[in-house]
Amino acid sequence: MAAPVSSLSQRLVNWARQRSPWITLFNSGACNACDIEIIACLMPRFDIERFGILVKGSPRHADILIVTGHVTLKQASRLRRVWEQIPEPKYVIAMGACGASAGAFHGLYHVMDTVEQVIPVDIYVAGCPPRPDEIINGVVACLNLMSADAAHGGKEWRQKTSAGIPHTDGAPGVTR
Amino acid sequence: MKPLLTLDFVAETMKEWGTAEQVRHNRIRITATPETVRTAIINARELLECDRLITISAVDNGKTLELVYHLTGPHRSVISIAIELPRDKPEVPTMSDILPPAGIYERQIHDLLGIVFPGHPDLKRIMLNEDWPLEEYPLRKDWKKDPGTFYGGIPGERI
Amino acid sequence: MANVIVPIGPHHPALKEPVNFRIVADGERIVRLELDLSYNHRGIEKAAEQRDFIRVLPLLERVCGICSHSHSTVFVKGIEEIMELEIPPRARFIRTIIAELERMHSHLLWLGVAAHEVGFNTLFMWTWRDREAVQDTLEEMSGNRVHYGMNEVGGIRRDLTPSEVNAALARLPHLEERIREYAKMVNDQETLLIRFKGVGKLSRDEALAYGAVGPTARASGVDYDIRRDDPYLAYTVVPWNVVTDTSGDVYGRTRVRIGELQESIKIVRHCLENLPEGPIRVNAPKTAPKGEILSRYEAPRGELAHFIRTNGTDKVERVDIRTPTLANWTSVALCLVNQNLADIPVIVAAIDPCLSCTSRITVVNPKDRTTGIVTFDELRKQSHLRASMQERR
Repeated sequence: MAAPVSSLSQRLVNWARQRSPWITLFNSGACNACDIEIIACLMPRFDIERFGILVKGSPRHADILIVTGHVTLKQASRLRRVWEQIPEPKYVIAMGACGASAGAFHGLYHVMDTVEQVIPVDIYVAGCPPRPDEIINGVVACLNLMSADAAHGGKEWRQKTSAGIPHTDGAPGVTR
Repeated sequence: MKPLLTLDFVAETMKEWGTAEQVRHNRIRITATPETVRTAIINARELLECDRLITISAVDNGKTLELVYHLTGPHRSVISIAIELPRDKPEVPTMSDILPPAGIYERQIHDLLGIVFPGHPDLKRIMLNEDWPLEEYPLRKDWKKDPGTFYGGIPGERI
Repeated sequence: MANVIVPIGPHHPALKEPVNFRIVADGERIVRLELDLSYNHRGIEKAAEQRDFIRVLPLLERVCGICSHSHSTVFVKGIEEIMELEIPPRARFIRTIIAELERMHSHLLWLGVAAHEVGFNTLFMWTWRDREAVQDTLEEMSGNRVHYGMNEVGGIRRDLTPSEVNAALARLPHLEERIREYAKMVNDQETLLIRFKGVGKLSRDEALAYGAVGPTARASGVDYDIRRDDPYLAYTVVPWNVVTDTSGDVYGRTRVRIGELQESIKIVRHCLENLPEGPIRVNAPKTAPKGEILSRYEAPRGELAHFIRTNGTDKVERVDIRTPTLANWTSVALCLVNQNLADIPVIVAAIDPCLSCTSRITVVNPKDRTTGIVTFDELRKQSHLRASMQERR
């Protein structure tokens, strides 16, 4: 495990990242219910922007990538390309039942099995579609993960389980 | 609003190109052949006042491929003109010059079922991704995914 | 299969992928429109052939995240007609209530998105906040904000309790007042008027010839509405009007949708106040007899058609889905020709596409045959720039 980060500038950078993460969205072929619920998060009722979270378009400025939808065969390579453009440290949130296992569309001929086949996923948010509160909860869990990773000097402390999915309870330091 | 079309009127007008039957209070089905279907549609437009195409449905019933053209007009009746095509060489002339919306539906049917529409200006892929192998028509009843072929996605990944 | 699923595609404010507009400008004019629907294609029609009537409904609902109830209702009413089942009046009314609530949330959503396209973000925020009232009602009635799962063959799955009915009725007056505000705003606000009027004009003959459906067609004076022309559910017993307009441009489509919002509130109120007593479902047989039906429905975007063929088993032989956006797409292509680049987001948004961001506009510079790629983002920025320039004038 790498030595914990201690320099002031590094701590400042980590603090800034967690206080104001920039999110980029990628619709990998969904029915769009999840996308609309994400937009509803930006609206006055749920207002994710009061947390300092901004939804930006370009992957090159993002900290978090939110993937909606099960990945269709057409979108798979594009999703991989977008993910590669995001600078480290990057985090991926897979939305909904589709993100976890292709949801209702599992096994269809133009669909991949899960987002994990294309890019590594950090957080799964359950629901079909997840409610805006659950989405905000997922983003906050991601922020907690970011601070846990920063405290441990990187992502290596999160050992992958035999299922291939890194899993935490949202509390730093707990892995299964 | 105009009254619905009656079966007798439709049967009489279209008798040269197909046989008509009433399948619902506002829908009349005409069975035509691939040779007569284009003239049937042109005449349905003129004589029956069917100026709108609702959709073109394509079915694989196991033995043949069927196409049904659904038309409607100010009388609000639906005229369905149905034809059957052989599986090995399904071809029917395009309707996209007489009914402009047909262009998109024909492209879709070609992609998924493999029916060819000679005369169509642009019969290229619309529904399947660019890596999908040619000559594989997913909506046919005898099509199954071949584990050895690459259908798109990330090369080398299990899909 | 027309898995042209919904989605608010390219003009989704936060969705930046995956849209590529290849624009070739002859000056600033567009020449040809290409369409590629493979981004959202899933293979739902083939999967529907392998699921029985209970399992296929959740799949068909998720064709679209905005008109999910439309897909499920049109399928279920087609199967019920093949089986010659008569569903009880209470089920008919409740299906109508959910259908009209869905139309309301869809039109409010569209209003916000269209306003966003021209840089009017305040209206975007307001309409989506009011839309939350509709979502709350739907959540109380069905348990979910989207994908309600209310339908089954033979009726509906959940009943409405009197407290849910009263809560829904209590929300309607405020919503009605807000919609009246929006109607006034659309009539008075300079920003909207300039950007919407005269843009994306579709004449009546063109709308007929190119098969436009829904509010897009009705704004051009084409008087087709499946709820009146091929009635289903409770639309024959509830008083309501078809809303049309004659201008044919984006402004006309806005007025039609706001008119439909007002009509929907009336229908919902009438249904809630006059909900008949009785059972909510009848027992349906497990298999459907051999048959064929073209089931049509007026979805928020236009006419949705499911062609269903059954073969005597408990699964369909074929369900062929024709979504309204596909029908409107040819007319959009027509509208875009000879329009300005900066108006593309508005025009594409005006048909309210339930379609993934996969359209490509190819324009070729006739002089030197070059092509350029412009992303939708840049187009939207141009669109907003134009709006602010006009405001300063």
